[in-house]
Amino acid sequence: MSDVTTSGSSSPDTSRRSGERPDKPAPSVFALSMAVGVVVFTVVTVVATDFSLAGIIEDLSRPNSSFQGLLNLDWSQVTNPRALAAFVETVQMAVVGTIIGGFAALPLALWASRVGAPNAAVMWTAKTFNNIVRAIPDVLWALLFVAMVGIGVLPGILALIFFSIAVTSKLTSDVLDGIDMGPVEAARAAGSSHTQMLRTSIVPQILPSYVSFLLYNFELNLRASAVLGLVGAGGIGQLIDFYRGARAWPQVWGIIVLFLIVTIVVEQISVMLRRRLV
Amino acid sequence: MSAPDRRPTGQDPGRSGSPRRPDDVAQHVDDMLRPERPMEVFRWVVTAVVLGLLAWGLSADIRWNRLVGAIPEFLNIMWLMFKDPDWSALPGLLDAMWESIAIAWLGTVLATIVAIPLSFLAAENLVPKPVSVLTRQVFNVLRAIPELILAVAFIPVFGLNARTGVMAIAVGSVGTLGKLCYEIIEGLDTGPIEASDAVGASGIQRLRWGVLPQVMPELASFAMYRFEVNIRASAVLGVVGAGGIGTLLSQYISFKVWDRAGLALVVVILATIVVDAISGRIRRRIVAGPGGTLHMTTIDPEALDAAQALAPEEQPGAPA
Repeated sequence: MSDVTTSGSSSPDTSRRSGERPDKPAPSVFALSMAVGVVVFTVVTVVATDFSLAGIIEDLSRPNSSFQGLLNLDWSQVTNPRALAAFVETVQMAVVGTIIGGFAALPLALWASRVGAPNAAVMWTAKTFNNIVRAIPDVLWALLFVAMVGIGVLPGILALIFFSIAVTSKLTSDVLDGIDMGPVEAARAAGSSHTQMLRTSIVPQILPSYVSFLLYNFELNLRASAVLGLVGAGGIGQLIDFYRGARAWPQVWGIIVLFLIVTIVVEQISVMLRRRLV
Repeated sequence: MSAPDRRPTGQDPGRSGSPRRPDDVAQHVDDMLRPERPMEVFRWVVTAVVLGLLAWGLSADIRWNRLVGAIPEFLNIMWLMFKDPDWSALPGLLDAMWESIAIAWLGTVLATIVAIPLSFLAAENLVPKPVSVLTRQVFNVLRAIPELILAVAFIPVFGLNARTGVMAIAVGSVGTLGKLCYEIIEGLDTGPIEASDAVGASGIQRLRWGVLPQVMPELASFAMYRFEVNIRASAVLGVVGAGGIGTLLSQYISFKVWDRAGLALVVVILATIVVDAISGRIRRRIVAGPGGTLHMTTIDPEALDAAQALAPEEQPGAPA
């Protein structure tokens, strides 16, 4: 492509009268209307949220407890046994949520795909279920489960299970759309049952991607489980909420730093594992 | 992505020994025709590791006994939520949902405006290595902090209002948008830029005809997608008081005002689905061009997010 665009530089186009310009491309109606739409919508939302840069600058120039806490960050949180215990709880929540939710997502993804569904009714039900689960954010799941079973680790795990179903089933069904139909036909020709066909022709094809989605989902869950505690669903978020209530900002930022360290370490491990798998 | 499974198979050709009875003959033929079972050791190791992790995870103080009452409670709540919704709450809920959408949009716009110039500092072909490494670390840190945590930290600064929500969304999105931007910049095709230079384009003309057409489609569609993701985030920001529908949601659910909570839930779900659909259409039009057909799933939010997260670091600029 680039040689076409650069060829004019060395040898001028002789078929054209000298000095004649090529026609300017007409401005795209779509691009123009998009640009206008973006500007209009931005102005409308600025009004709706009562947002102003002057206000932001004014807020930032006032001394505030949060940023002062960031400057006096409490590094001792990294060795605080209470914080570490809360972190173990967070990781446990993420592990259980990923394993149970991720495994439940595989049949749901299969049933929601045209090739994997035993019949249209199952496909429709699985698709609708996946879409609804997908539209509810993780914190909202936690709110609901806290109301149902009370505060603690249990509502956090339940929320992460549903969150994992949403993420993994969606990603997996995307891969299912692009699988090789050859093995499926072969299995059917050999007289396999529907389950046997899924097991021998489809699952092996999607397995490497599915496993890397599980690992990715674990990273997401770890990140999510840190905030679930803000609504009472266990883990490190509960400690953040506690320190926030006590206005102990150096401690809050200390926990956030610890959280960053944990997520970055886990991400590195996950990247390493994925590289070996895929 | 879906590579065919190549599991190692044993070389053992089958059972040896001469068959005597017809049943044995059939068995023997069957054994020869059937492919060997794949190796099991790896599967057992993986199963053991997963079960071990699960057991360790379940050793947390979960108190499963509460789950017994949860299922009837769940059905009961569903019934209370949807048997007779309190429609009088609807205008307030729609208003709050609109605020959530506005927070997500404005946050995304601000993040894009900040991320584009910042990403120049992260592109290896523009700045010295230490600068790009440092900027990338900033992006990574911003990407790792959940928006809700940012909102908690911003409330003492900007107050209990939508402004805090906008700032939390904006700061949280700078990382992902910045990462995409520097990947685009590093993958820029120099051909069109050289061509613009060759025909004597001014600086602005070179930007307009050499750079913008390459950058805009991907950047615009990714920013739109980020807006969809941010709606999900901004819908719950109100839980900590940072504006939007989350405040009403958490109040209705915590105080068990189920006839309103159900309505709030429906508003969030429907608004999310509708905005996704509109935004998805626009993104499809941006990526595929007029009259273009592109399979919808290739530009779905989770797929894009995962593509960014799962893309190997060695190949910057790989289109999602």
